[in-house]
Amino acid sequence: MNSSSALLDVQNLRVSFSTEEGTVQVLKGLSYSLPKGKVLAVVGESGSGKTVHALSLLRLLPPTADIEEGHVLFEGKDLVSLPERQLRKLRGARISMIFQDPMSSLNPVLTVGEQLKETILAHRKISKLRAKAAAIRLLKKVGISDAARRYDQYPFQFSGGMCQRVMIAMALALKPQVLIADEPTTALDVTIQAQILRLIKNLQQQTGMSAVFITHNLALVADVADEVLVLYGGLCMEKASVQAIFKNPLHPYTQGLLNSLVSINKKEDLLPAIAGNPPVPGKECPGCPFAPRCQRAEKRCFQTRPPLFGKREHQAACWLLEEKA
Amino acid sequence: MFNYVLRRLLLLPVVILGVTFLLFFLTQRLSPEMRASLYIKDPRQMGALEEVIQKYGLRDSVFKQYGHWLANALKGDLGYSQSANMPVGQAIKAYLPATVQLAVVTIILVVFFGVWFGCVSAVKKDKWQDVVARLFSVGGFSLPIFVLGLLLLMLFYGRLGWFSPGGYSVYTDMIVHGGDFHSYTGFLLVDSLLNLNFRVFGDVLSHLVLPAVTLCIGSFALMVRVMRSSMLEELGKDYVRTARAKGLAPWQITYKHAGKNAVIPVITLASIQFIRLLGGTVIVETIFEYPGIGRFGVIAAQQLDIAGIMGFSLMVAVLFVLGNLLSDVLYTAVDPRIRLD
Repeated sequence: MNSSSALLDVQNLRVSFSTEEGTVQVLKGLSYSLPKGKVLAVVGESGSGKTVHALSLLRLLPPTADIEEGHVLFEGKDLVSLPERQLRKLRGARISMIFQDPMSSLNPVLTVGEQLKETILAHRKISKLRAKAAAIRLLKKVGISDAARRYDQYPFQFSGGMCQRVMIAMALALKPQVLIADEPTTALDVTIQAQILRLIKNLQQQTGMSAVFITHNLALVADVADEVLVLYGGLCMEKASVQAIFKNPLHPYTQGLLNSLVSINKKEDLLPAIAGNPPVPGKECPGCPFAPRCQRAEKRCFQTRPPLFGKREHQAACWLLEEKA
Repeated sequence: MFNYVLRRLLLLPVVILGVTFLLFFLTQRLSPEMRASLYIKDPRQMGALEEVIQKYGLRDSVFKQYGHWLANALKGDLGYSQSANMPVGQAIKAYLPATVQLAVVTIILVVFFGVWFGCVSAVKKDKWQDVVARLFSVGGFSLPIFVLGLLLLMLFYGRLGWFSPGGYSVYTDMIVHGGDFHSYTGFLLVDSLLNLNFRVFGDVLSHLVLPAVTLCIGSFALMVRVMRSSMLEELGKDYVRTARAKGLAPWQITYKHAGKNAVIPVITLASIQFIRLLGGTVIVETIFEYPGIGRFGVIAAQQLDIAGIMGFSLMVAVLFVLGNLLSDVLYTAVDPRIRLD
């Protein structure tokens, strides 16, 4: 990952939530850079901070959350400190997002076409008629047949997969440089998942945009991603190219994740899993967040947080790698 | 949609039969002599009591008497109101427009300010705007209408003399009942404008303001609360996040996206309040001596004017069903999920 060609550069991002029991840090210093035209997959369990990370990139976090520290650099601007008015010009135009639940992500009382049209009109000064024509073209592009009629329909008249197609059309309406996809297929049927995934991948390749693909599903990662970042307890555990992650995982957590993938050829009675539970935000040990579940954990794993070891192309945060470095 | 309205209208006779029979049954708790005494104005004619009972069949069974009333009502004859000194139908026609006028003005004020304050309150949650709106709403909610009405009367009529209490001025009565005033709608506020008589308009308006404000404040409080909580709920939904992620301006997110969803519960509340205003502005109409249907109902009840009571409740029942129908139709206008299902 060469940061000079990076389109999006995330540096030491720390996000906390204020709760009744005090502030809870959810992201604890996440850094990565997204190269031009590449897909970065951010993989993690529930509660690892995946979605919070995605929302913090465009400052869409709920009011209880606070970006304590860090920078998100995009075209020389720091999105963390950019005034709201300027950030609004980037949202949806240069950096777009699609979300987990497409049904609830669309407004139930506005037509699909209206929601698509207003996105275009928010960023382009064109006539409403031309915006409508553009919206219908977009609907066709994401594989919605009979687009002109569908334009006037409401989200509840669409299936989940169709809603996600609309969301994708909306995200790509202004040809953004970066697409952030927060678990775009999780809420969909398995058969639809593959279709949507292929659609995103195709459109990404056609337009040459970069994408941050957030998922908990390692199997998807192999299909779409160029690079992988493994997130656990708000920290980056390992980042590498997709080949390296699958062939030579360095971090015990990544190894555990890959072990729990079930092969279609083998018959297994008990599904392999990593013992224990992910850390509860706010109640972690000062050391490596994975230490309590790690079979190879030593004393210092619990006390001191390991930095990222290894070369630029393949890094992992584990004390086991210290000697090699 | 058409089927839906039709089904609702079919319900109308059922509700009306139920309400009127129940009331009729209750009036029968009074002895025939008591009911007959209403027709006798002069104590010296007390001997004619039995004659009246015989004439109107007041000793017959409840069902027979009710059937008699119903048959007449279907023919359009609701009986003669002793308290208003005119046929019940004519009394309703004379008093209802003033109440409708009051209710419409009130509900417009309530919805406009309620939605506005509720929106601001939700968007500026926990800021000073929210605190002010909430204080106002709690205050309005806890102040009984008869206290508020009297306070306003004392202040704006007694002290400041801005508005007039009691019925319309003699001038207005003369003009309205004189030959030149053409009654287009029955609503004096509209008719006076159509007749280009601004003095009548001003008089009617000045009689409307205090009752409308009094009625408004109690309903307004509830409206603010409903709108605020509804808006807060909508602002936390996923589609609002999508709208922000698309780069829409804050006003578009608040009013076009969240607002359109948030007003749905307000419609129900507004139509319930409107119906209540039509049938139950009794207290306010009494305090301000406003010549509306509520006052007619109260006087009829006080004087045991059974035909008047029955006519009044029949009217309320009809309005109730129609009001609910109106709210359902309004629903479909904002919510496509209902409209297209």
